Amino acid sequence: MTPVRFFLNNFTLNTLCWTVLAAIPIGIILLYFLKLRRAPLEVPSTYLWSRTIEDLHVNSLWQRLRQSLLLFLQLLLLLLIIIACLFPWLQGTELRGKRLIFLIDVSASMAATDNKSGISRLDKAKVEIAKLINKMETGHTAMIVSFADQARVEQSFTDSRSRLRMKLNQIKLTNHTTDLEEALRTAAGLANPGSSGESAAEARAATMYIYSDGGFAPTEFSLGTLTPVYRAMGETTTPNVAIGAFSVSRNPEKPGKMKVFARAENYGTDEVTTNAALYIDDSLVDADEISIPPDGGITGISFTLEDRDEGILRMVLEHKDTLPTDNTAYAVLARTRIARVLLITAGNPFLEKALTTKQSAKISDITVLSPSVLKTESYKNEAMAGMYDVIIYDRVAPDRMPRSNTYFIGTVPPKGDWELEPKKLRPFILDVDRVHPITQFVNMTNVVIIDGSPVKSPRGSTVLMDAQIGPVIVSSPREGFVDVVQGFELGGVLEDGAQEWNTDWPRHRSFPVYCYNVLSFLGGQSTADATRSSEQPGASLALRTILPVEYVTVTSPSGKKVKVEREGEAAYRYVNTEELGVYSVTESTSELPSQYFAINIFDSRESDIRAAEKVDLGYEEIEGSSVEEPGKKDIWKWIIGLAIIVLVFEWYVYNRRVYL
Amino acid sequence: MSTGPSNISNLLTPQLLAQLERMELVSRKVFRGRMKGERRSARKGQSVEFADFRNYVAGDDLRFIDWNLYARLDKLFLKLFLEEEDLHFYSLIDCSSSMEFGDPSKLHYAKQLAGALGFIGLCRADRVKVEGLGMGISNPGPVLRGRASLYRMMEYLSSIEGGKNMPLQASLREFCLRNSGKGILVLITDLMDKTGYESALRLLVAQQMDVYVIHVMSPEELDPDVTGDLKLVDCEDQDVAEITVSRPLLDRYKRTVASFIDTAKDFCNRRGIGYVMTSTATPVEQLVSSYLRRRGLVR
Repeated sequence: MTPVRFFLNNFTLNTLCWTVLAAIPIGIILLYFLKLRRAPLEVPSTYLWSRTIEDLHVNSLWQRLRQSLLLFLQLLLLLLIIIACLFPWLQGTELRGKRLIFLIDVSASMAATDNKSGISRLDKAKVEIAKLINKMETGHTAMIVSFADQARVEQSFTDSRSRLRMKLNQIKLTNHTTDLEEALRTAAGLANPGSSGESAAEARAATMYIYSDGGFAPTEFSLGTLTPVYRAMGETTTPNVAIGAFSVSRNPEKPGKMKVFARAENYGTDEVTTNAALYIDDSLVDADEISIPPDGGITGISFTLEDRDEGILRMVLEHKDTLPTDNTAYAVLARTRIARVLLITAGNPFLEKALTTKQSAKISDITVLSPSVLKTESYKNEAMAGMYDVIIYDRVAPDRMPRSNTYFIGTVPPKGDWELEPKKLRPFILDVDRVHPITQFVNMTNVVIIDGSPVKSPRGSTVLMDAQIGPVIVSSPREGFVDVVQGFELGGVLEDGAQEWNTDWPRHRSFPVYCYNVLSFLGGQSTADATRSSEQPGASLALRTILPVEYVTVTSPSGKKVKVEREGEAAYRYVNTEELGVYSVTESTSELPSQYFAINIFDSRESDIRAAEKVDLGYEEIEGSSVEEPGKKDIWKWIIGLAIIVLVFEWYVYNRRVYL
Repeated sequence: MSTGPSNISNLLTPQLLAQLERMELVSRKVFRGRMKGERRSARKGQSVEFADFRNYVAGDDLRFIDWNLYARLDKLFLKLFLEEEDLHFYSLIDCSSSMEFGDPSKLHYAKQLAGALGFIGLCRADRVKVEGLGMGISNPGPVLRGRASLYRMMEYLSSIEGGKNMPLQASLREFCLRNSGKGILVLITDLMDKTGYESALRLLVAQQMDVYVIHVMSPEELDPDVTGDLKLVDCEDQDVAEITVSRPLLDRYKRTVASFIDTAKDFCNRRGIGYVMTSTATPVEQLVSSYLRRRGLVR
C-alpha cells in the first residue's frame, strides 16, 4: 500500500498571492478584535458581575479560548476554504480507467490453494476484485467475464456495485481448460459493441483486469482500445504433480492380460517420490512407488492386470499438493463388443480378406452384400435403424446416408459437401496422419496407385492421407457418426468376372493394419485400447445406444441424474461434463447402466500451476502488475463539506453560545 | 409636584389601604415614646389599663388614689395605670441609581413598601418618619402622625428621586446623627454598595433600634436575560465589566447572587436584624400581608 501523501495542487502561486492569502486570516483576527464591539448594557451594579468574573480569571486562558471560540471557528472556516480553493489531492491509488472489465479465470488450475490464507486462487481473485469493486466511484462501470475454455459474461457493464458483487460471488470454479482468446474476444466485443462495424470511432477505452494464473497458450489478439492489466494469481513456484494420461490396453501378445498405462507429471523444482495406486471399482488392486523428475518431468506408470470385461479404474497419486484434482484419473473398461460390419461391393477379394483376418474377426462380424441390395426395403430399414456399426461402400453409394459409420471407397456420400475431383494419374502419398487411430501404424511407402481423385470434403474434416494431387483419405463427423472417404479405388472384380487393380496397396503389409484400424475405429471400439476415450471437462458428448430409446439418463460422479432426450435416431447429446470422474448412462427404463465414460483434466497447462509472471497478449507482453495506479484523489469536496460543518457549528455556537 | 388622591393610588391602591388599616407595626422592643399614643409603654401613666399599686407619697395626684382601698385598709394607695405611648417608625429608602432599575423600578417598589408600612403606622398613631437616604440634609423626611398625614407622606414619597449615589454607610451615619430616637427602622435597599453594607448596618444596630432590612432585587438581577459579548456599565460609578455570556458564566452569576443573599441574611441574623429578601415581582400586598407578617414586623 502506498503511503497516503497530501498535496496541494501544483498551482504556481506567486509571492503576491501568498501574501494576500496570508493577509486574510490576519485581517480577520484584527477585525475580530477591532470590531469586537461589546454591546454596552447599563446594569444596576457591576458589583455581582465583577465578583462573578473575578473567579473566572483563575482559569482565564481557557476562558479566553472559549470567548474566542467564534474567532477560531472563523479562522478554521477560512483555512478550510483557502485549502479547498487550492484543490488539494491525496496521493492515493485509483482504479485504472473508468470502464473496467474483470476477466476471471475459472479453469481447473484456479483451484490451487497456494496462498497464505489457504483459499483457492479463484477465491483470492474474487476477494481482490471485490476490493476493486468497492473502490469504484461514480462514473465507473464494470463488467465481469469468467473464462475457462469458454468465456461467460457474468455481468455486462453496470455501475451497480451490489450487482457486481452478487454476480462475482456466484462465479464457480470449473475443471475446464483455459482459453484466453475466447475471453478476450468476448471482452473486446462487449466493451465496444460497434467496433467491428464502421463505428470504430466510438471505440471507448476500457481497462481489462485479467485475474489468472497464466495457464493458457499465448494469443495473438489485437486488444484495440483495451488496456490489459494482468494480475497473477498464485505463486510462480508452486509445485504440483498430476496424471497426464491414463489408459488401459489389452495386450495382443498376451491374451487375458491388460496393461494399464499412466503418465505422471511433476511441475515442481524438486523430484517427487510418491505412491501410485490403482483401484478397480474402488478396491485397491495395485500400487507402485514412482519418482518423477522435476521441472515438467514425466514418469510412466504401468501395471499388468488380469483381463476383465468391465470396470471403473481409478489411478491416484498419493502426493499432497495444492491442486489435488489432477492427482486422480479415471478410466472405464469397455466390454469387447463385436462390431457389425456391412460390406457392399461388387466383389473385392483382397478387401474381404483383409477385413476377415484373425484379429479383425475378433472385433467384427462382416456381412458382404452386392450393390443391388441398396434398392431393397430390408437394407433401407436396417440402415436407417442403425443395425450396423459400419457400412463399407466399395465403388457404390447409397441414396441416403445410413445411421451408422461409413467408409466410402472410390465414391462419396450423397449428402453433404462431398465431391470427388476428376481423376489424376499416379497419386503419390506424401503424408499420413500417424496420430489418427485409422492411419496409425500405416506405412504407405512404395504403395503404387494408378489413379485417384482428390477428395473435397465438408468443413471440419480431417485429412488422413495426403497425396500430391490433394487429400485422398478424409474423415468427417456427421451427427455422431464418422464418414471416411477414400478418393482412390482399390479395384476388384469387374462385371465380367475379371479382376482389375488400381493399386498394389493390398499387397503391402500396411493394408490389413489399415483395415483393422478402420474396423476398430469405426466399429465404435478399440481392442488395443480397452478404455473408452477420456474426455475433458466441459466436452459435449454424443452418446449412442444400440437401439434407439426415448431418452437416456446420465448419472454424474456425484450422483446427479440428467435425463437426455434423443436427438438423432439413436444419438443423445450430453453437455454437463463438469465433474471429474466416471459417468454412467442408463437407457430409458433400464435399471443397470449400459455404458460409462470418464472425464479427466489431462491438460498439462492446467496441471502446471506455476503462475506466469507475464502473459503474451496481442503481440504485447504484459507483466503482472498492480491493479491500481497512483492517482490524484481530489479531496476539496471533503474539505468544503468540512467547512460547511464548521459553518453550521459556528452558527450554532453564535446562536446558542449561552449554553456553551 | 402634584398631590392628592392620584398620588396615593399611584403607590397604594385603596384595597391595599383598606387592608393595611387593620394592621399594626410590631416592635420587638418596647420603647419610650415622646407623646401619648396607642401603645403600652414601660412608663406608667394615664390609661384605662390597670398596672399596679404603690404607696402614696406627698404630691401625688389625688385623682389616682384608690379610695376603696383606703376605706378598707385606712392607707393611701395610688393606682398605677399603664401608659400608652406612640412608636417611632422610620422607613429609609435607598435612593441610589441602582434602585432605579427594573420594571417597576426597585425605587418605586421601595416607595410603595415604605408608604404601606408608613400608613400602618399612621393608622396606629405612631410617629412615622419616611426618608430617602441621601436626601436627609436638603429634604429631610417629615415627621408624621395620624391618618391625616397620609397625604403628606405620599407627597414626600413622590418627591423622592433616584440618583443619590452616596455610600450606604455615610447616609446612614448622617441619618443616625439627626435621629437619635429609638424605634422601628425599616431599611429598604438593594445592598448594592461596593464599599459594603456591613458597617452601615452595624451603625443601626449600635443605635439600638429594631432594624429590618428589606432587600429588594429585580428579577433581571436574579436571573439575567442577557446574551452575547457585553460591556456592562455600572450606573452608579460607570465601572465597566466585560463579559461574554455563556452558560457557565450565568450559572456562576446565579451562584454569586445566591451567596450574596445568604451572606446578607447571615449577617443580619447574627445581629438581630430582621432580613427580608424580596423581588420586585412579588406584589407589595403579598409582601406586607404575608412575608412581613410572618417575619413579625406587622400583625
